[in-house]
Amino acid sequence: MAMADLDIHEPGDLAEAFCLLRAPDGAARPMGGGTALMLMMKAQLFKPSALVSLAKVDPRFHGVELSADGASFSIGAMTTFAELEHHADLCARLPVIAQTMVTLANPRVRNVATIGGNLAHADPHLDLPPVWASLDAEVSVIGPQGERRFPVIELFAGYYETTLQPGELIMRLHAPVQQGWRRRYVKVTTRSAHDWPAIGIAIGLKMQGARCEDLRLILSAATDRPTRLVAAEAVVRGQAITDDLLAAAGKAAASEVHIETDSRGSSDYKAHLLSVHLKRALHDLCE
Amino acid sequence: MKQDLTLTVNGVSYTRAVEPRVNLGDFLRHDLGLTGTHFGCEHGICGACTVLVDGATLRSCLMFAVQAQGCEITTVEGLSDAQAPLHPIQQAFRDQHALQCGFCTPGMLLTVVELLDENPDPSEAEVRDAISGNICRCTGYQPIVDAALQAARTLKGGTR
Repeated sequence: MAMADLDIHEPGDLAEAFCLLRAPDGAARPMGGGTALMLMMKAQLFKPSALVSLAKVDPRFHGVELSADGASFSIGAMTTFAELEHHADLCARLPVIAQTMVTLANPRVRNVATIGGNLAHADPHLDLPPVWASLDAEVSVIGPQGERRFPVIELFAGYYETTLQPGELIMRLHAPVQQGWRRRYVKVTTRSAHDWPAIGIAIGLKMQGARCEDLRLILSAATDRPTRLVAAEAVVRGQAITDDLLAAAGKAAASEVHIETDSRGSSDYKAHLLSVHLKRALHDLCE
Repeated sequence: MKQDLTLTVNGVSYTRAVEPRVNLGDFLRHDLGLTGTHFGCEHGICGACTVLVDGATLRSCLMFAVQAQGCEITTVEGLSDAQAPLHPIQQAFRDQHALQCGFCTPGMLLTVVELLDENPDPSEAEVRDAISGNICRCTGYQPIVDAALQAARTLKGGTR
């Protein structure tokens, strides 16, 4: 299956990359691992005239580093899923990442797909973006106008849409390592075990005795972008955990967001899945 | 515009001029004549086109050939020489009747190569997880799982 003609560039510095991405026809696109991009090109949803590989643009796009005080990981955008999955230090301190990876595609995909490409693709069904959001992670992006850093949840603007400005590239991801938080990613599939999720819920929970001190609840796949469940969080935050409270949180979650109907379930069905799985996961995490 | 590509496939170095839009699998099949790598779905679902690039599996239908610049590729042809005994994983597939039509087999074999490199003693569940991205419409998978477990025992015993 041949694709339309195109150029593939592998610039050795950022200035050249920015220049190549400003192609006169507006159809040059950056490429990380290329997994999602090539699928869209094969489906003829997307016809770039040029792809600009980010493999060699800058050393800052590579490497996984723990800060000297151990408070956060800094992850280059070109880091593959497999590199993270096999990073002993990261898996020890943020085990939710390894837990999520095994639910995500298969080794052959994880060997190629990159952290930055996964974020930039902004498909709401992807598994890692809600997890990063639940960690209060931030992204550093760099463009012709300079560098800026903001919470990862602010990156997503809707289906396949981000808040990146023209020419901007995701350079690094910063994931805090917070002590005392329990974390889980719940992937709910409705057709087969390896399907895309009907809903995904990333949960962070900090307990103080029987009381919830703080929490993060991020919903994905059911909404057009990873979405923080503010009302459900408010039900639980500061409260002693009881079955009634968790049931109320599940109800609050299901009513606070607009849930999309798709081939993996109707809006009503997914709302029901959300209330049940949220309650169940919080219950398990409290134990 | 064609770009020069130099890479190593099964230990042999090749240099060819290729169009950037050509994917790695088509390059292997059409430019190098290595037709052991099969194309099923051509959009990353079936796993038939799996090859090893620098030791890691990936889908050769979803990678541009030019991205493999300088890489070492292993295809099914690289597992054993025509006149030599089969690779232990190939032998296990044969022993366990882990193939019928054989279309998925090259991708299955290379997927199991990577699995056993990383995890020489996998459980049945780990084998099933490893081959979850490879579709077989003949065997019902059980003989393939049995073959992977047999190969693990053989390789551990050092009777290559």
